[in-house]
Amino acid sequence: MYHLALKMLVADRAKYVMLVGGLAFASLLMTQQNGVFQGLLSWTTSHMRNMRASIWVVERNVEQVNETKAMRDTDVNRVRSVTGVDFAVPLFISVLKARASDGSDKPIQLVGLHAATLIGRPPDIVRGDLEQLRLPNAVFIDELAVERLSAGRARPLDIGDTFEINDREARVVGICRTERQFFGYPYVFTTYDQALQYAPRQRKMLSIILAEPKSGLAAVDVARAIERETGLRALTVPEFSRATIDFIWRNTGIPASFLTTIILGFIVGIAVSAQTFYSFVLENLRHLGALKAMGASNSLLARLLLLQAFAVGLVGYGIGVGLTALFGFAVHPIGQPPFILDYATLTVTGVAVIVICMFAALLGILKVSRLETAIVFRA
Amino acid sequence: MIFRRLSVYLAAAGIAAAILLVRRMQQKPPAPAPVAAPARSPYLGTVAATGLIEAARENVRIAAPKGGLVTRVLVKVGDAVREGDPLFQLDAREAASRVETVQAQLEAMRATLKAEEVALADTEDQLARFEKLRKDSVATEEELKRRWFAAEGARARIGSIRAQIHSVERQWQQAKTDLEILTVKAPRDGELLQVNLRAGEYAPAAALAEPLMLLGDVAKLQVRADVDEQNSVLVEPQAEAVASLKGHADLRMPLRFVRVEPYVVPKRSLTGDSLERVDTRVLQIIYEFDRPSFPVYVGQQVDVFIRRGNPKAPVSEPTSVPVAGRR
Repeated sequence: MYHLALKMLVADRAKYVMLVGGLAFASLLMTQQNGVFQGLLSWTTSHMRNMRASIWVVERNVEQVNETKAMRDTDVNRVRSVTGVDFAVPLFISVLKARASDGSDKPIQLVGLHAATLIGRPPDIVRGDLEQLRLPNAVFIDELAVERLSAGRARPLDIGDTFEINDREARVVGICRTERQFFGYPYVFTTYDQALQYAPRQRKMLSIILAEPKSGLAAVDVARAIERETGLRALTVPEFSRATIDFIWRNTGIPASFLTTIILGFIVGIAVSAQTFYSFVLENLRHLGALKAMGASNSLLARLLLLQAFAVGLVGYGIGVGLTALFGFAVHPIGQPPFILDYATLTVTGVAVIVICMFAALLGILKVSRLETAIVFRA
Repeated sequence: MIFRRLSVYLAAAGIAAAILLVRRMQQKPPAPAPVAAPARSPYLGTVAATGLIEAARENVRIAAPKGGLVTRVLVKVGDAVREGDPLFQLDAREAASRVETVQAQLEAMRATLKAEEVALADTEDQLARFEKLRKDSVATEEELKRRWFAAEGARARIGSIRAQIHSVERQWQQAKTDLEILTVKAPRDGELLQVNLRAGEYAPAAALAEPLMLLGDVAKLQVRADVDEQNSVLVEPQAEAVASLKGHADLRMPLRFVRVEPYVVPKRSLTGDSLERVDTRVLQIIYEFDRPSFPVYVGQQVDVFIRRGNPKAPVSEPTSVPVAGRR
């Protein structure tokens, strides 16, 4: 009997393609848009994946990771003095201007790492030796910086080449790969002391303190202890990510615009597939009537319709996420546009598609249950 | 049959590809390990500080007593000197010639004195003779008086010259002192840690940011640890402490408490920028240590950890304690 239902489903190729196409499109829209949205949001927290540390200590009023307020040098020692902190090192971070060879100024994200330990260094080194950062005027740049700062050069910027940061020479000793950040500034890494030389002099220069909890202690507990004892704001990576994303959510129109697209995808999916499925049910009303006349109960017919809806939903969903995956595989190595696909997106979209299908099936079931068997013999 | 449909296989492939992509996206490079071990406290509860190694008896910043041109530098960096050893010579030509001038003046006055003494001897001799002649009533009273006044006048002149000689002698002494202080001498035994002075340069008589010479006793070193004033209450004098060299956290030196500096000073920025404004004051604590097996140098920065009694355990306390200034 169920076999028959599936056979009925694929019998009309045009209808079947239409049904599957509508659902695939809805799935594609929901997963792809959500993926780009999540990717974009993740760019706002890329600092925390490019500079790794369990606890980020910032000035009390800092709301998000891209905007820091300076602290005093001695605050590093205050954080070190907190029980449960294994170690703490300073990090300098600021947007400065770099001059490319053609004379144009490009904004860069300058990161100053603790010279002795280089804690917070980028995980993915393409070329070069990070220890050479301790040489005078040495910097590590990311691939985006190579692209931006190579303007006006015969060949791309490479190890040994120089450019200017704030009218001071910077010599490239290595190239790393980083995750892009929201504002699109390329990363330039150097040592903390060197970064202070590049940056315009201010009264306070320390941007962030990176800390690790002692082994066996939870980062959250240690972060709270730091807040209690120093009055600074200490956040674990998930907390800081959440705070940053909250900030974006509250202060920009990006989430609203993406949410609209995702909801539209859902509505279009419902509209197209519910209509198509309903007309499919109408077309096959005679067959269903015949089955009913042969003694099939309403519940059996309902189950048949549900199976058909589920099958078409699954196929449509599969093709939709397949297309999203193709997009993902294409952009993942480039990192542009931002795109992140996770199991949650897949699951939620899957559930949404099934809900759409069940809704369409429900319309059909209502029709079929009110069907009179006599219809088979009419006309 | 449905399984003959291409769409089913496309869908299966699509789902598989999506799962593959999610897996690939979840792969994150692991956090890189620090290139060198960061400074860690060996104690459960600690007060961290930044320390500077200095000579056990505070370094002496040698200054010039007078502004002047340096003609000779008699020592070099690393020389061990004893108290009183000359360090450098300021231009002494003017002072030396003044000594000579005063000396010549003195000699001239001594010669005058000699002449006056002779003259006095002569008038006294004449006076003695006229007294005899007066007794014999050969000379008149007036002649005797004149001789007597002549002798008294000569005596007075000698007294005056003697007083002048004494004054010039003092001037001579002063000129000699002026000459002597142009040779700057070591105020105590020690080693020269810095010599920022070359012959031909001008040495101003002032307290300079960079001293002309830095003299210290490097036989015994000490650490001056800067504790943020906000942490000052946490420091217990006599508490155990340990220092590790900056960038070499494994090279540790146990410290012995010496004293807490009673005056809280503005934090000295080590960037060396004189325009730096002060926003923090630091409590300074002095520790001594035995020379470790690895080399340490005066002026080197160290990370200091001071043991703290009754540290608050971060886990046992409720985590919901509101922090001032946050929601």
